[in-house]
Amino acid sequence: MWNKNLLPLVMLPLYFCTVGPEVASAQEPGPRDKYTMLTMPYNKRPLTLYGGQFMASAGYKFAIRAQTFNKEGDKVYLKNAGTGSVFHYYVINAKYGLTGFLELGAETSLIRHGMRSQSVTYTTASLTSAERVTVNEFKEVKGMGDLLLTATARLPLEFKWFDFSLTGGLYLPTAKNEQDKPSHSVTDISTSNTYTVNYRYNYRYGFGVPVWLTGAGAKFSLGKYSLQAGLVYTTPREEGTGTRWDQTLVNSRTFDYQEKEYKYLLSDSWSGTLSFHYQATGWFDVSLNGSYNKTTGGWTDYWGNKYSNPETRIFIIEPSFELQITPTLKVCQSAGFPVSGKNCDAPFFLFTTLRFSQFPFLR
Amino acid sequence: MKEIEIIRKIILFVSGISATAVSFSQTEKQLMPSDLKQQTIVTEPVTLRKGFLRVGSMLNYRVADKYFSDDGVKKYYLSNAWGTRTSFNFTLQYGLSDRFEIEFRGEYMDTRLESEKTEFVAATNTTRSIVTKQKGSGIGDTYLRLRYQLLPENRYLVSLTGTLQAAIPTGEKNPTDIYSAERYDLPVGQGNFALSGGFYGRTVFYPYSFTASVNYIRNFEGSKKFSAADASEVNFRMGDVIEAYAGVNLHLNDWIVFSNEISYNHKGKGTINGNTSSLLPESWTLSYEPGLVFQVKRFRLGESVNIPLKGISIPADPLYIMMIQYIF
Repeated sequence: MWNKNLLPLVMLPLYFCTVGPEVASAQEPGPRDKYTMLTMPYNKRPLTLYGGQFMASAGYKFAIRAQTFNKEGDKVYLKNAGTGSVFHYYVINAKYGLTGFLELGAETSLIRHGMRSQSVTYTTASLTSAERVTVNEFKEVKGMGDLLLTATARLPLEFKWFDFSLTGGLYLPTAKNEQDKPSHSVTDISTSNTYTVNYRYNYRYGFGVPVWLTGAGAKFSLGKYSLQAGLVYTTPREEGTGTRWDQTLVNSRTFDYQEKEYKYLLSDSWSGTLSFHYQATGWFDVSLNGSYNKTTGGWTDYWGNKYSNPETRIFIIEPSFELQITPTLKVCQSAGFPVSGKNCDAPFFLFTTLRFSQFPFLR
Repeated sequence: MKEIEIIRKIILFVSGISATAVSFSQTEKQLMPSDLKQQTIVTEPVTLRKGFLRVGSMLNYRVADKYFSDDGVKKYYLSNAWGTRTSFNFTLQYGLSDRFEIEFRGEYMDTRLESEKTEFVAATNTTRSIVTKQKGSGIGDTYLRLRYQLLPENRYLVSLTGTLQAAIPTGEKNPTDIYSAERYDLPVGQGNFALSGGFYGRTVFYPYSFTASVNYIRNFEGSKKFSAADASEVNFRMGDVIEAYAGVNLHLNDWIVFSNEISYNHKGKGTINGNTSSLLPESWTLSYEPGLVFQVKRFRLGESVNIPLKGISIPADPLYIMMIQYIF
């Protein structure tokens, strides 16, 4: 049954891949020279790719988590306590314009991030003996993210100054949400009762359940200036089951681990973006983006009780640019400055993306 | 007689054409001095042309997050501490001749190390916080470098340039403003003189250029305090360094270059008061550095990331580099 359902899904894109460019050419007026379309400036191109256009992107985000927003919305400076950390986030995606107004996309990512907690030392001193135990706690999030499949449709008109699009998508849980077995250790053993305990937790990077995505976008262009707005909503399709590990320190040297299952429901997420673009020349676009993200709902099971996930929100300002290097290659870069938020990290980041674009079926 | 006259006329005619042909055939584009100052890292000469002056600045930024252990495994720092190291380099390069270049480089360092740890003392039922705040800001060491084209590019397929560099310890080498074991200013200089020499080879197959370099750094003995708790300076000598790298640069268009470099750096064991010390271990690293270099008229802007791939006893964090240069 699963195979029967999949067959049309596989055949439909294949059909569009071969027939789509011709259909698009017949339907759409405007420029058909592929180099003109590949080098189309931001202020003159629609929200989706042209029919028959393929685009692959690879991006790297380096984020410095030096501060966080607490539940009151105040900034807490993590670097003062030495608990700041860095993110390395890699993303790849591929898009294809089935027609001039319908685009398919796939995206996945990889993350590497280690977070340290404040070290604590417990000292017991008496006239005859001294015990000194230092505890370090470290959490690593590492691995591939889920696979996001999207379809975006825009107005079936030639883009002149206004465009509108709708997007639907699904995160497939290709990356598990299960926690790997911790790798705690005991080090710096100088006497029988003086040592350091290093708690190290190993997390994966995935939702663990399918997550629906819906979105809408609009774009206005006036001469060299453009305004683009977007709204994205994600919600989990179902409850998930994850695993946690409990540990017991045995003989002050080794750990026993016990695996436990727990239930959870992911929070819903709302993201809104508004960006103002200026096309300085045909090959250089600068923009100022504002993005707002809010999560609500959801719960996590602890010891048989469901606890609501904390509501989070963050507002980020991002100056960016897009540079056309060759007809097929673009580089984009943005810097993110968190302005306000609640219950979430507030990392400063630099995000660099290389985009390769081509019309594989057009001469 | 008539034949001789015809031959004479032909010779005169051909001579006339030849004289004018030379002047007409020399139509290749004349490079203006301003064009010569707008060449990219691929098309420019290995050393600056005579009389050309280039000023530049480079920003290096690194956050302490991971390191290569002494058995070569990449590990996180487990104890909570936030350490950053930022260096601003300022360079002046001048072409003494078309083959000989001199470079002066100074740097401003900004190093930070912050942490907060908690200690519970059961015997007295008290808690105390140990706050570490260390920063080191100021002028660092100074470098003077000479480069000479031994095999100039205009005569050989592969050019070879000899390099000689001196490091002068102008930066503060000791911890200063010591309030406590946790609060003091970090040093910004190495504290020793060093001399290095090496060779740099390059060949250009437009739009590519291939480069390779090998360098040896001899560190001389110096004296400094390694810790804020040290009562006096100790004599030390850092291990000598061997550096080697190979790179490929590619013109993406007329003014953007994609640079790629693989580098290897090996530092020998150092000594303190004549004895080897764990403070100056033997270390090596193999790293990859991709980057983009933009040539905008006489301005050159660049950004790259140095990514340590393998190593021993050395930080494993990426180094972010931004560069701006202008040629007069």
